[in-house]
Amino acid sequence: MNTFLRKNIVMLVAVLVLSAFLIAAAQGMDKQDFVITLLRGLAVGSITFLVASGFSLIFGLLDVLNLAHGTLFMIGAYMGWTVVVRPDTFVDLLTPLALIVSGFALGDVYPLLASRIRLGLSMKRMLPWGLILVSILLFGFILPRYPIAIWDVGNYGQSPVIFAFMADSGTRLPVMPAAFTEISMPVALIGLLLASILGAFGISLFDGTPRTVHLSWRNFVSIAIALIVAVAGAAFNDSLTTFLYGLSSNWLFFTAVLVATLSGVALGGLMEATLIRPLYSRPIYQLMLTIGMSAIGIEMVRAIWGRPEFVMPKPAFFDGAGEACPATNFADWWANHCSTILLLDGRVRVYNEIFIPLVGLVVLISIWVLLQRTRLGMIIRAGVQDSQMVEALGINVRRVFTMVFALGVGLAALGGVLATPSMGLSNVMGESLLLNALIALAIGGLTSYPGAALGSVIVGMIQQFIIKYGQIGIAIPFTDIVFKPTPPLVPASTVMLMVIILLILPNGLLGKKE
Amino acid sequence: MENILDVQNIHTFIGQYHILQGVNVRVPKGSITALLGRNGAGKTTTLKTILGLTPPREGKVIYNGQEVNGLRSFDIASMGIGFVPEHRAIFRDLSVEENLKIAERKKGDYLRKRDFIFNLFPDLKRLITLSGTSLSGGQQQMLAIARALVPDNQLLLIDEPSEGLAPVIIEHMMSAIRELSKDSTVVLVEQNFLVASQLAEYYVIIEEGRSVQDGKMKDLAADKAAIHRFLGAA
Ligand SMILES: Nc1ncnc2c1ncn2[C@@H]1O[C@H](COP(=O)(O)OP(=O)(O)OP(=O)(O)O)[C@@H](O)[C@H]1O
Ligand SMILES: [Mg+2]
Repeated sequence: MNTFLRKNIVMLVAVLVLSAFLIAAAQGMDKQDFVITLLRGLAVGSITFLVASGFSLIFGLLDVLNLAHGTLFMIGAYMGWTVVVRPDTFVDLLTPLALIVSGFALGDVYPLLASRIRLGLSMKRMLPWGLILVSILLFGFILPRYPIAIWDVGNYGQSPVIFAFMADSGTRLPVMPAAFTEISMPVALIGLLLASILGAFGISLFDGTPRTVHLSWRNFVSIAIALIVAVAGAAFNDSLTTFLYGLSSNWLFFTAVLVATLSGVALGGLMEATLIRPLYSRPIYQLMLTIGMSAIGIEMVRAIWGRPEFVMPKPAFFDGAGEACPATNFADWWANHCSTILLLDGRVRVYNEIFIPLVGLVVLISIWVLLQRTRLGMIIRAGVQDSQMVEALGINVRRVFTMVFALGVGLAALGGVLATPSMGLSNVMGESLLLNALIALAIGGLTSYPGAALGSVIVGMIQQFIIKYGQIGIAIPFTDIVFKPTPPLVPASTVMLMVIILLILPNGLLGKKE
Repeated sequence: MENILDVQNIHTFIGQYHILQGVNVRVPKGSITALLGRNGAGKTTTLKTILGLTPPREGKVIYNGQEVNGLRSFDIASMGIGFVPEHRAIFRDLSVEENLKIAERKKGDYLRKRDFIFNLFPDLKRLITLSGTSLSGGQQQMLAIARALVPDNQLLLIDEPSEGLAPVIIEHMMSAIRELSKDSTVVLVEQNFLVASQLAEYYVIIEEGRSVQDGKMKDLAADKAAIHRFLGAA
């Protein structure tokens, strides 16, 4: 018992302080306000956790501070929105995106190919650049001519804002399907595949170390999947579109969550393999690169989806209204799928304040199981401490790096899409979330997984309680003064807390000493 | 005699620094070969260069007749080389058992080798659920060696196993190394000449990044002048 106390003293003190803070907070407000604020804190904490945990896994293992993480969160949100509001656009995008990724799925084959090529030294230097140039030219020629049915940011009546508004009110604007006119379909498909393979091969040549590769069918699984997706997307474009349009809003939302997460995974893998990997020996450049990626990502989102903010329709499962709503108990809620439920007389929004924390909890546990109970998790935990030693054991750490980067970005994208029905979509949603996540990690401990969870919940709680007190005011004892914290105090207070904690515990609450 | 490892004139740079400037090491199969030299001579760097952790800029590393310099570390290690680094590098967040399991190259390696390992280091058996951090220095060293024994390695690179250990533990360590050298070849970096001379059959002396002398350990042990000149030991 004694050793338990000594080992977990920080945790215990943190829990005590947190409970004291909660009890104090509860004194000044009604019971229902307190419950709702608590749940909102958990919800914000959950979304923050999805970003923070991926960020911290990536930083822990790869030593990469991925400052593009907030932007990737935002891209997840916009991807998910596209699936829900414009399934036809999503289906049109499926084929070109799968083809762009496909070349990189052949990663293990290129070293073998490279060892077969015998060239002079100067040609060897030129080859990767030549390949990449051809690849860029091909992409540049084909992509602008590839037919994709899409909204029009320049035309308000056809803008995402309108599509979002209509979808939210349950109707859909008619859309024109796009067709191959400027370029023939086989040329476009084969050209994209070729461009991807040439580009991926070119980039792989920068890593000059030869490899002994034992090819087996496993090396071809990923490209096979990519090609199947691409061909199916092209061949069954119409029926797939009709199918998605016919789905209920629940299944469509579920599809969106899946698609956003998977595109995050693919984007993360691609980003690590092409941009991050060549720079492991130059961490400063890597940092600058992620900052640049973040800016480019934001501009791309602005170019594609436009600057105005818009909404994401809530799945019907959480959007019921009418006589029986708000539900007073769970059975009632299940029968009517009310958007709100009464808890201790407070109206709680089911999606925002119950569903999101639940998903956060499920992810928390799944990743924990992955880390503690699987071989991959064991390698990650060991690699966080000493990736060179892991490699010296004969383990391909680089591949684990790619997987962790992909997983981290996937989690951020999942956070993005889950947040949209309550937060809506905006160009700056990523920035503020990344800031929250960084503060949460500084509080909890940069590379500690439980620390990421604890820090995120603390950040979420503090923000929500201060917002609430901004509305109802804090009655200062023994005076008539009612103090109302102003909105700028919300970020300021979390930063303050971070500073205080870092002064006492430089490694955060659960961080380990280096 | 057949050499399992043949390091030919390797030059290694760490950043700007030209650390190894011509190291040659030949390791006969089945032997224990000691790398000797003063602090900072380049012994650790030689081991890391063999494994590709600090790849050589020049020279060759030939393992089992195959040129491995330039390959990635995990590929080289997978060919059957085990590494027991300086300062042990036990994984703190892993239990003792996980520290062993992570070294598996084939499923079931750990189960197959478990008895052999616990026979060699009976202490480890009762520590199996503890975390890597809670071990003493000697136990960590045992675990580091045990970890290299989990897969079927033909060659073990062991860096300063006696460092910071009490004499009794060193004795135990030495008998363990003698025992495991029956199945695999060992390259041993050792500052303690007494330990090195009792274990190794061959030696290579490294001085300021160059291999300057090699031969049979029993000849060196008789040559007090050479020992004093190269190693500063009596
Ligand atoms: N990362 C590094 N950066 C710069 N110099 C280094 C680095 N690592 C090692 N060196 C230098 O390379 C030389 C050889 O180091 P190495 O660790 O191989 O020596 P060693 O023979 O193992 O010494 P010891 O007995 O102290 O372990 C030393 O002079 C050391 O200062
Ligand atoms: Mg050394």
